Amino acid sequence: MNIPSEMSQAFVICVSAIFTQNILLTYFLGLCPFLGVSREVKTAYGLGLAVIFVMTTTSVLNWLAYRYVLAPLELHFFRFILFIIIIAAFVQFTEMVIERYSPLLYQKLGVFLPLITVNCAILGASLFMVIREYSLIETVGYGLGSGIGWFLAIMAMAGIRQKLAHERIPRGLQGPGIALIIAGLMALAFMGFTGVLQGQ
Amino acid sequence: MKQSPGDKKLEAMLHSSNLVADGFMGDDKRSTPEIIQSDLRTLSLAQRSTEQLAQRMTAITNQAIAGLGTWVQIDSLRQARVDEAKGTLVCPWPHAGRFAKRVTTLKLTASGETIRWSDLNIHLIAAHSFFEGKGSHFRLEPDQLVAFIF
Amino acid sequence: MITDVLIPVLLISLIGAFLAGILVIAKAVLANYGPCEIAINDEKRVTVQGGDDLLSSLRTEKIFIPSACGGRGTCGLCKLKVLEGAGDLLPTEEPYLDDDERSTQVRLSCQVKVRKALKIEIPTELFAIQECLCRCVEIVDLTHDIKQFRLELQEPATLDYLPGQYIQLLTPAYKKSSEEVYRAYSISSDPAEKNIIELIIRLVPEGICTTYCFDYLKVSDEVHINGPYGDFRLSQTDRPIVFIAGGSGMAPIKCMLHHLHNTNSTRKAVYYFGANQVSELFLLDTMRQFESTLPDFRFVPVVATPEADADWQGELGLVTQAVQRDLKDAADCEAYLCGSPGMIDAAAKVLKELGVHEDSIFFDKFA
Repeated sequence: MNIPSEMSQAFVICVSAIFTQNILLTYFLGLCPFLGVSREVKTAYGLGLAVIFVMTTTSVLNWLAYRYVLAPLELHFFRFILFIIIIAAFVQFTEMVIERYSPLLYQKLGVFLPLITVNCAILGASLFMVIREYSLIETVGYGLGSGIGWFLAIMAMAGIRQKLAHERIPRGLQGPGIALIIAGLMALAFMGFTGVLQGQ
Repeated sequence: MKQSPGDKKLEAMLHSSNLVADGFMGDDKRSTPEIIQSDLRTLSLAQRSTEQLAQRMTAITNQAIAGLGTWVQIDSLRQARVDEAKGTLVCPWPHAGRFAKRVTTLKLTASGETIRWSDLNIHLIAAHSFFEGKGSHFRLEPDQLVAFIF
Repeated sequence: MITDVLIPVLLISLIGAFLAGILVIAKAVLANYGPCEIAINDEKRVTVQGGDDLLSSLRTEKIFIPSACGGRGTCGLCKLKVLEGAGDLLPTEEPYLDDDERSTQVRLSCQVKVRKALKIEIPTELFAIQECLCRCVEIVDLTHDIKQFRLELQEPATLDYLPGQYIQLLTPAYKKSSEEVYRAYSISSDPAEKNIIELIIRLVPEGICTTYCFDYLKVSDEVHINGPYGDFRLSQTDRPIVFIAGGSGMAPIKCMLHHLHNTNSTRKAVYYFGANQVSELFLLDTMRQFESTLPDFRFVPVVATPEADADWQGELGLVTQAVQRDLKDAADCEAYLCGSPGMIDAAAKVLKELGVHEDSIFFDKFA
């Protein structure tokens, strides 16, 4: 089967974004909601899906904006502002859709839904996409992979924390303390994936 | 410090005069967790716990209720009186809890000094370690309260 | 040079405006729930604009569900059954509903948003509740901390109520309270005066509403009330009556006494009125009047600790002690009590010891 090399390249980028270059556990982006909404698997699931959706779509939207608006006008430096505006508008839109179709999820996510806007992982994905000069297909793969990687990390954390809720943890470490230790251990574990993909 | 939506709602509730006149915070500029921590520290210096306070306050109030609004001798040093009004007070924390509008006034017979608390105060101390903000009408200073009731 | 700055600024502004425009359209489409029909008790149907919570939506249709926290979801009083259309139970509702209520689809109406057609069930008494505009026509000082307020109904001109019921008085935002608040007061007026609502109010230290009424409310001011509420009322029997109430608790009793007079009732009645000191007794003339106009009514004021110079010759001690000493033939009686839970519990205990049946004791507890 003749898979176009760009598609296979996009696939490799996607898989590496999930494991070897996990945007959260390797680059430590997006830690705020990661620590804040990871107490329950159900809520983490909802937020994780929202992040996958926002990350993939905004990466593509930002790629289009960069390619067809900023590049022709030679305004590359403007990418920071423009990307944030696009992300903010898109998250607002997502919020309206969630409120309409699942008020329960909307209430459970609370302030963390609009906080996706300032989730540096979202902006980070778009900026990496520019630095690494990905094509459109590669951007889709990268956005999707980063999102899935972030989703995986928060689901794992939620699962661990839900189990830990019944354990005896020293008072000083309860809450964010133990969560960061777990995150560190997870990051170490994911380091084990290095070298799995050639050149990634 | 960033607050979760639940904490923001609680702070708004404590400041609003929806439940009690002038709210629960008086003119205290500190946040609720700060107030609670500071009061708990004062209380631990007085070597008492919130459970002990709440138990003793409830015991005094129950004794005073029998007086139906007249002064009741609690022990050789103290007298107490209970005044009630129609209606219920709602706890500002987000859990089901309605309390009678019952105010207990405790008087030290020797000096004539008085201190007062409501049923809601007892609950706020027992369940939330909250003595209300400085300047609030029903603020209880932990060390003063201990001196009065023990 | 200038263009180098202008172009990016214009560009960002344009893109920002474009995105904002898209969001406005999206909001109009997504957040617009359109008109929603609410079916109440399978008989009444109202149509409201969707998007608001159920409590506020019902209020716009003049259906008043009780609430003490103004719709913030912390008092649990606005419960009602939502049979269809409410969506999933929200985390803000969970602390206030027990398993029984959850299985019968009880919800907090201040947290349920109206997004589509709803089917709800509410107690029928709530339909009788109206919002009334009144004018304060008289304020009388009864004691150092109790005042009598006479309110003349403007719109509607009359209010139907049963003696023993109460209204909620709206305290507007003022110096001590930045928000509107409702507080309950029993009606003490003569039901024959159809356009007057009279209230007996005691000043509560740091109370929101009583401070307003005592320090700010003036004659000829407008007052908003709603009601009537409550199921404290006289029975339809002929059994002798024992009233026990002190302070502002006299309000519903006074209303009931007017009613007995208006209906030419022959029921025997005695009213034990407890006070701490002689200066706390009030409306003695009105009570003496009832003693002469009603066929068999006795007013028994009881003072706990009379002042030395008052020369008190009447009953001494706590009101419960007076009842114990004075009440005869208790087993036949019906008791109507109004006051604090402490007083009511103590009085009920004494009455039961004297032989009054548990089912014959009715009360309007303060809390």
